[in-house]
This record gives sequence, C-alpha cells and structure tokens, in this order.
Amino acid sequence: MTDDALKRWICLGCGFSYDEAMGLSAHGLTPGTRWRDIPEDWVCPDCGTPKSRFEMVEIPYAAGQPAAQVAA
Amino acid sequence: MSNAFVLHADERGYDKILSTGATAAYAGGHPDAFITRCSSFNFGDYQDGRPGFGRIRVFGDEAFYHPGCSYNMHPHHNFIICAFVLEGKLTHINTLGQIDELGPGDYYAFSAGSGGLHEELNRHQEPMRAIYLWLLPDRLLLPPSYERGHFDATAGLNRISALVGDQAGTLTIPQDAGVSRLVSNTPGTFRYRPRSAGHGVYAFVIDGMVRCDGTTLKRRDSKAVWGADEIIYETHAGDTDVLLVETII
Repeated sequence: MTDDALKRWICLGCGFSYDEAMGLSAHGLTPGTRWRDIPEDWVCPDCGTPKSRFEMVEIPYAAGQPAAQVAA
Repeated sequence: MSNAFVLHADERGYDKILSTGATAAYAGGHPDAFITRCSSFNFGDYQDGRPGFGRIRVFGDEAFYHPGCSYNMHPHHNFIICAFVLEGKLTHINTLGQIDELGPGDYYAFSAGSGGLHEELNRHQEPMRAIYLWLLPDRLLLPPSYERGHFDATAGLNRISALVGDQAGTLTIPQDAGVSRLVSNTPGTFRYRPRSAGHGVYAFVIDGMVRCDGTTLKRRDSKAVWGADEIIYETHAGDTDVLLVETII
C-alpha cells in the first residue's frame, strides 16, 4: 500500500468507520474524499466524537462488505 | 526481549457521568443516578494516557449507582465490546433482540460489526460494577453478534480460566485476542505463555494483590507485558482476582 492509497478511519467513541474510497454521501462527503480534506470541526455522525479522536486502521472488510454504512 | 508498562490504579482516567444536565442524554436514570468510569486507556475526554494496547482500545472499570442508571441506547459499529460483571446486576439490551440480565461472574461479548445499538442499565438499588473492554475487530462491518458466558469462581479457583478466545467453552470473538481470569486464595505461581512473541498480555487486578514478573500489583493496578515467552504471576495467601487480556500487538 502506498501513502497515496485510500485509507479507512474508525471512530474511537463508537466504532463508526469512514472509508475514503466510499465517502459518506449522506453527509456531503463524495467518494474519494480524503480524511485530511474533511474539516477539523467535523464530528462522528453517530456519536459526535471529534475528528481528532478517529484512528486510521488497516483492517480488511468482512465478506460482502463494504455495503454503504448507514449512520444510526 | 520483553517490554512492559505498569499502570497504577490512581494513574487512570476518571469520569463521573451524571444522569442530569449536559450528560442526561448519554446517562439515564433517577436524578441521583451516576456512572463512574476509571479508564486504563484514552477514552472520551480522557486523552492523557496511552491510546491502547494491541487491539484493546477501551478498558473501563465502571460502576452504575442508583436505580435506572444507564448508558442510554446508543449506536456502535465494528468494536467488540465485552462486559464482565463484578457486583450487582447489569441489564444489557441490544438491537440483536437481546434483553439480558447479568450478575457477578457473568460476561458478554457484543460484536457491533455492521451496526448495532445497546443500552447498559442497572435497575436496582445495589451498585453495579463491571469491567468494559473494547477491542478492534479483525474485519470491518462483520455481521453483529452477541454471546454471554459465566465464570464460576469456585470451579476456577487457583488456576487461569479462559473466558473469551478460541478455546473450548469460551466466547468466540473476531480478533486474535482472548480474556482469561486468575482467581486464587493461596500462594501460587502461574505461568502464562502468550501464543507468540507478537502477543502481549494486559493484567488487571480486580481484587487482591499479585506479583507480575517481579512487579507488585495491588487492587486495580495493571501491567502489560509483550514480547515475552512466558509471564509469571505469583499470588499470595489472600483472595486474588486478576483479568488477563491477551492480544496480538
């Protein structure tokens, strides 16, 4: 994986995952939106945890995923 | 060569979460109800400690006071959340359809996977004390799952008992990690062999006292060791209760 590869981030408050490849269209983040391009005041759509308390993870998807993750 | 860190009870993060005011949506119950949470690792507003250990991200030593005291129903993804009830009774409600009441010795593993909500509730006057453990999963967005188990402290006396992991009779979780419990009432030497040099063990003293590779750990102290072939836990003549979380590093 190069540094330019699209990455996944997980909320340390609730586990919500953000995938740069998928974006989060319901929240105005188009597919390919880089984590660094998301505003610093953005918060987890599920639990309100600030962007700074997400962790970049290199965890593969379960079989059949990713379907679009729906915020609760 | 092995590595280690020691975390004393009073070095942990501390939160008191009221069921009134700004945290009323988060914590429920009688107006007097509140939750106390001692965090071994960074969690929520506590960010002055370690970020975690191996796949562990949250280790909360928590107590729910007064009837109705709860974390209200709230969503999760991905994390594997385990609770080990120490005292009182915990009602766990989740969107897999479970309404479960757990007492001392009972524990559960709730893998939130592709999404699930849960509520943690004490319905009784007696305080409910539990250890909450969150682990990262080995796959994102797995089908959610819930299992419960029971640790029998009498049958498990003076040995290390596996509670969570891939051994027979344990709760299975989607991660290279496991949880064991060492309960002892007599002096003893217990040798724990991590499954590889790439694994570590976080030992948390629920009660009593233990020597871990020469370090004396008292109630609610903890020590993590990784890169060791063997970790030695020595118990004394009194009651000792230790939770051991093994994780790939």
